[in-house]
Amino acid sequence: MEYLVASAIGLMTATGVYLILRRRTFPVILGLTFLSHAVNLFIFSSGRLKMAAPPIVGRVAESSDPLPQALVLTAIVISFGMTAVIVLMAVGARFGTGDDRVAPEREAP
Amino acid sequence: MSPVLIAALPFLGALLAGLAARAGRTAVMLAAGLCTAAALAGLIGHWPAVAQGAPVTAAFDWLPQIGLEAAFRIDGLAMMFAGMILGIGILILIYARYYMGETEDFARFIVYLMLFQGAMTGIVLSDNLLLLLVSWELTSLTSFLLIGWWRDASEARQGARMALAVTAGGGLALMGGLLILGKIAGTFSISGLAARAETIQASPAFLPALILILLGAFTKSAQFPFHFWLPRAMAAPTPVSAYLHSATMVKAGLFLMARLWPVLAGGWEWTAIVATTGLLTMVIAAKIAFFQDDMKALLAYSTVSHLGLITFLLGLGTEPAALAAMVHILAHASFKAALFLTAGIVDHETGTRRLSRLGGLARVMPLTFAVAAVASLSMAGVPPLAGFLSKEMALEEAAHATVFGLPWLVALIATIGAAWSVGYSLRFLVHGFLGRPRGDMAELPHDPGAGLLIPPMILAALTAMGGILPMQLLAPLADVAASAVTGLPVHGHLALWHGLESAALWMSLAAFGAGIAFLALWPSLSAMFEAAPKLDAKRIYDAVIGTITRLAGRIDTQVHDGNPVRSFALAIPAMVAVGLWAFLGASHLPGDRAVLSPHPASLIGWAVLMLATLIAAIVHRARLFALLLTAAVGLVLALAYAVLSAPDLALTQISVEVVATLLMLLALSLLPRITPAETPWPTRLRDAVIAAAAGIGIAALALSIMLRGPAFPPISIFHWAQSKPGAGGTNAVNTIIVDFRGYDTYGEITVLGIAALVIFAMATALLSNRRALARLRRHDTGGNSGDPHPQIVEIAVRFLLPLALVVALYIFLRGHNLPGGGFVAGLVVAIGLLLQYIASGFAWVEMRRRLSPHALIGAGILVATGTGAVAWGFGRPFLTSAHGHVVLPVIGDIELASAAAFDLGVFLCVLGAVVLAIAALARLGAATTDGEEEEG
Amino acid sequence: MNHWIIAPVVLPAVLGAATVLGGSLSHSPALHRTWPRAITLAGSLALLGVALLLFAEASAGPPQVYRLGDWPAPFGIVLVLDRLSALMLVLTAILGVIGLVQVIVTGADRRGAHFHALWMFQLMGLNGAFLTGDAFNLFVFFEVMLIASYGLMVHGAGGERLRAGLHYVAVNLVGSSLFLIALAMVYGVTGTLNMADLAVKVPALPAGDFALIRVAAVLMVMVFALKGALVPLQFWLPGTYAHAPGVVAALFAVLTKVGVYAAIRAGTLMFPAEAPAIGPILTELLWPAALVTLLLGAAAVPGAGTLARLAAFATISSTGLAFAAVAGFAAEGLTAGLYYVIHSILASALLFLIADLCALRGAERLDGGTPRLPGFLAVLFFASAIASAGLPPLSGFLGKLLILEAGIDAAALLYPVVLVGSFLLILGFARAGSALFWRASGEQAEPLPARAYLAPAALVLLMAALTIWAGPVTGWLAETAAAVTDPAAYIAANALESLP
Repeated sequence: MEYLVASAIGLMTATGVYLILRRRTFPVILGLTFLSHAVNLFIFSSGRLKMAAPPIVGRVAESSDPLPQALVLTAIVISFGMTAVIVLMAVGARFGTGDDRVAPEREAP
Repeated sequence: MSPVLIAALPFLGALLAGLAARAGRTAVMLAAGLCTAAALAGLIGHWPAVAQGAPVTAAFDWLPQIGLEAAFRIDGLAMMFAGMILGIGILILIYARYYMGETEDFARFIVYLMLFQGAMTGIVLSDNLLLLLVSWELTSLTSFLLIGWWRDASEARQGARMALAVTAGGGLALMGGLLILGKIAGTFSISGLAARAETIQASPAFLPALILILLGAFTKSAQFPFHFWLPRAMAAPTPVSAYLHSATMVKAGLFLMARLWPVLAGGWEWTAIVATTGLLTMVIAAKIAFFQDDMKALLAYSTVSHLGLITFLLGLGTEPAALAAMVHILAHASFKAALFLTAGIVDHETGTRRLSRLGGLARVMPLTFAVAAVASLSMAGVPPLAGFLSKEMALEEAAHATVFGLPWLVALIATIGAAWSVGYSLRFLVHGFLGRPRGDMAELPHDPGAGLLIPPMILAALTAMGGILPMQLLAPLADVAASAVTGLPVHGHLALWHGLESAALWMSLAAFGAGIAFLALWPSLSAMFEAAPKLDAKRIYDAVIGTITRLAGRIDTQVHDGNPVRSFALAIPAMVAVGLWAFLGASHLPGDRAVLSPHPASLIGWAVLMLATLIAAIVHRARLFALLLTAAVGLVLALAYAVLSAPDLALTQISVEVVATLLMLLALSLLPRITPAETPWPTRLRDAVIAAAAGIGIAALALSIMLRGPAFPPISIFHWAQSKPGAGGTNAVNTIIVDFRGYDTYGEITVLGIAALVIFAMATALLSNRRALARLRRHDTGGNSGDPHPQIVEIAVRFLLPLALVVALYIFLRGHNLPGGGFVAGLVVAIGLLLQYIASGFAWVEMRRRLSPHALIGAGILVATGTGAVAWGFGRPFLTSAHGHVVLPVIGDIELASAAAFDLGVFLCVLGAVVLAIAALARLGAATTDGEEEEG
Repeated sequence: MNHWIIAPVVLPAVLGAATVLGGSLSHSPALHRTWPRAITLAGSLALLGVALLLFAEASAGPPQVYRLGDWPAPFGIVLVLDRLSALMLVLTAILGVIGLVQVIVTGADRRGAHFHALWMFQLMGLNGAFLTGDAFNLFVFFEVMLIASYGLMVHGAGGERLRAGLHYVAVNLVGSSLFLIALAMVYGVTGTLNMADLAVKVPALPAGDFALIRVAAVLMVMVFALKGALVPLQFWLPGTYAHAPGVVAALFAVLTKVGVYAAIRAGTLMFPAEAPAIGPILTELLWPAALVTLLLGAAAVPGAGTLARLAAFATISSTGLAFAAVAGFAAEGLTAGLYYVIHSILASALLFLIADLCALRGAERLDGGTPRLPGFLAVLFFASAIASAGLPPLSGFLGKLLILEAGIDAAALLYPVVLVGSFLLILGFARAGSALFWRASGEQAEPLPARAYLAPAALVLLMAALTIWAGPVTGWLAETAAAVTDPAAYIAANALESLP
């Protein structure tokens, strides 16, 4: 299981990084989403993996580590807010400047 | 009068002059002049003590941590220089009063002048290296302002910038040198240095320190090869040229060398560098001066030359040489200032300073001519004037100096320099005032009023008297100064006549002969000079500065063109590299934790996730498809969380994923559908490599952590144990969120709320921007934002909303004990509303939306804060919770914690934020083409 | 327990929320225009008061801890008020007030919605970041700080500004991801998030964990380096600051220094060099980057196209110098570094305010031909140029001296770099000043109202005070640095409990 999670984190990171290196805003936003997916899973994994042990008192004697889960919740919410902002920035920039490039076109020197 | 006060008076003068601006030019001049005079009086008051060789000191702490002390000390050297600065200062103030045009902002000019005077006085009075440094840089700054006074003239601006670059640059070198010096000496007190001279000169750091300090001195005193800024500084008004650039500031370098003479002089390095530089400067500048057409340029180069001579004398490192240096400083100050002022008069009266267009002024301006004659003959070194006296002393020293084992070399060079000096002095006089006028004067010039004439007259008188009564006028001051420099009692015998056996006599006779010959041969010589190729230091300077500016421009516009791709393409590899570097630098034991065996279901989920992720990267240009893949990944992730016993995460992930995806869909309807292919394959390859590196790195880290246990029992053990007894909830994750780490959540909902506000603000601004709005109207959403809404869907969705509310309530209430909570509840309601919008369009929701989302956000944060603040009432810290049992129908017995109220705040904030964000996007959608029809 | 410690976070939060709520409830436009200004101005002043109070307490006694939710450290989140955090609080509050005054005077808040709420939340985020004693909570308040800064930066929108904002946000999102990764590693290895607890546990880690904790440490410090715009993480800054409204850029002067502050916490508290796992690695990481940053920033100044961009590059350079001073995490360097941090916050704020005023009078570009600007503006510019270039008589010069004397044994390299950097700055500011105020075209720009000079003049006076009382200030900072480099008292204040 650990290997599956690790590989998933890796690939999502890679995709995220690849996409934020694009020249248009939308792929960059998708890339950031993938990045936050990967990071959330990473945080979660820092509590080590456990199956069938939800951190509900009384349900299980030995639960999975609840703290990283709480941290991921915080991270998810924050990254959601950030994504929302950057999405609207992208829309705004597209209508403000007339294109959806991440940087103004430079005339070739 | 305390030395501190003497140092402060010029600044007071600056202040008063500024305040007197309204009261007229004379008032300004008087305000400044009286302060200067007071300072001068205070200084002279110390003469008896100083003459006895007992320096007057005063000091107070400024920044003791680095040995910066506001320490002032008046000894012979300080007395002599301060006397010159303040004395000449008064004359300059009078002169300036009548010289500056009526339209000029005279008060500001005087303020600058007085600030300079204060800085200069600070240099010569300070007994602390760092304090000296402060004043030193101040003179550079004020000189910058004064040179650039006539700001509309480009040569003034350039001259000012060049002077600042050279002198302040030198000041930085000086800073380095002085810091090193202080470090090896263990003190920054100047008077404390002398005792440590041996240890200092023995230190390996001595040579670098010496070189850096001399760089400072040479740039300030315009020594070769840094001489080029001084002539350009002549773009300043004449009072400035006379004051800063001949009498005082340019002598700061000499002062510094004299001041540090006991510490730095004596070694071979000192003589080798200083004497050589001085000698070269003297002869080179003297020659150039001879060929100048502009009177002030001639005087400027001659100043450089004389500064070189004095530098040379200091470089010799002997007591008599030091005495000669002091005498010549006094002599030069008197005649050169006088000459500048006369040049100013000529300029003022005739409108030109070009010798080629002047001549014959002696007849029309007899008084001016008299002054010019005395001063320039003194400069030429004609007896019985002070110039002769000091030059004789200088030549005498040169005659006895031996460098490179050649006894005659120095004498020869010095004589040549003296010859040129005679040449340009006579040329100034002859071409300027004698013969018949060459240029055609508009109206016949005449002597100026007393205001312009008296200051140079006084100076001329001084230079004459100094020669006639040297023992009475020059010797006392020069002696104490020289004693202060050398640290030994010096009693020079100053006289005009040293008898025929004095080498100097013959050298100056030779110089006279040659000088007169030069003037006689002027036409042919100048033709030769013009023809000869000249290495112009200014052109080199311009080239250097030009290159710096060009490169700087590149760094600005090309390296920092605001392209995020460059940011990431450099930042991410850097992060990977640094991580790797850190990892490889220390020991690492792979963990020994048992691996969970995956069951087939999770294998399938994994495969789906990997595939979706990979495809998303490959086909990302088809935006809608890529977005759906991203959403799919998010959902699989939620499943993964569920499988890995994180139900809360699963719930949140799903709801967030839904909302986020819908948001992005809305956004996508306002963006192009396709990402154009615009990166060539090498770039894509590079990006892929970067991406792979980052991915592998993260994966490796994750794995190595998952495969090992924590080194210490994690703090979550406490949370788990205290969840029920401490926080009154069985859902440990929820108790952490709303209680143990409720403060994180507090910040988190604030973030969400702010995000919504930002989004709203951006949308509003966008809609109020005409050009953006026009583009928006032209945009075709392809029907996404305003598709016809089928009745069924609309009805269905409207029923969904109440359902959503019920579900939300349920989720909310159980949250503390079972997966759920305010956040998810908020999202569920939000999704309900979002569906409303999707189904029935913007107008409908706008119409129906009961509560302003702004209010929800505000209220949410306030509720959360309020809940936290209640604890204060019980003397407990912020966010302390309490809990008890409540029995509700349907849901049954729930343990209601005050944290639930906090969770309500979360709920409101989340709801408000999401609705506001959606509404913002919806408004933009409504502004588009088909959105318009929608509203109509 | 001293409840004032939470005030710098709660107060702006409440006021920010109140302006939003009030704005949506009240319907009188007059009220809409006036009352947010009133609230935030009062709030900023109150914050300054609270900050000064806390400053006094911190200077008087040992660090104080505030246990949120009354949970003991390291299990709950704690705020820690020590001399360093108190200092940063005061600086933030001062800039909050001065900036807001300029905002109101120039009417910058009228160009878009919710400016005042965002201003409050910005202060909340900064204060929270300075006060927290919990690593993850530091992340949370970084985000509060950032999201507010996004809003302020794009305030009034405009296409290119939004595009620059996009860059700013994207870069910081990557930074946040890195921060989370580092935090997750820290928790995964040590099992704790409380800074004081880390100070205890990181040195006690078994050799097998050394490599991982080192990676966590460097990644976290890189996040702080990103905030501080250290090379090669500085590309975002010029565009962001130059496009941001001038007053906002002035407030951002603190944001870069948050990076310096956090780096100090990392190097002295969470990942001390004394820990066998860590060693000098953070210094080895920061030192070269700081020097390069100093030079690069200074090297761009002589060619900057606009005054705002010049100010941005000057800020980069000054942050580089600040990092260079603290990179060794030794008391002497920290003292000098902190003095310089105070100065450079004031100096770059001043420069951005002046750039804004010049822009208001149609003078932005530095290639001359600008209208003749008011004389007093020239005076202020001259002062700010002196300050930013580190020339006497203003505090920049003393800061430079302090750093050179502190760094002199550490690395002879600092000398040439600082001196060359200063030279480039002098060139650049001389060029800019001559272009803006001397090489002006004929027509006279209309004069600015006297109140427009209030805030800049205040900053100049503050720097003058910092210069005159450099001795006492440095004395106070020396004590602070001593306390920071020996965190025993800080740890003791946390009263760390061990698991039952």
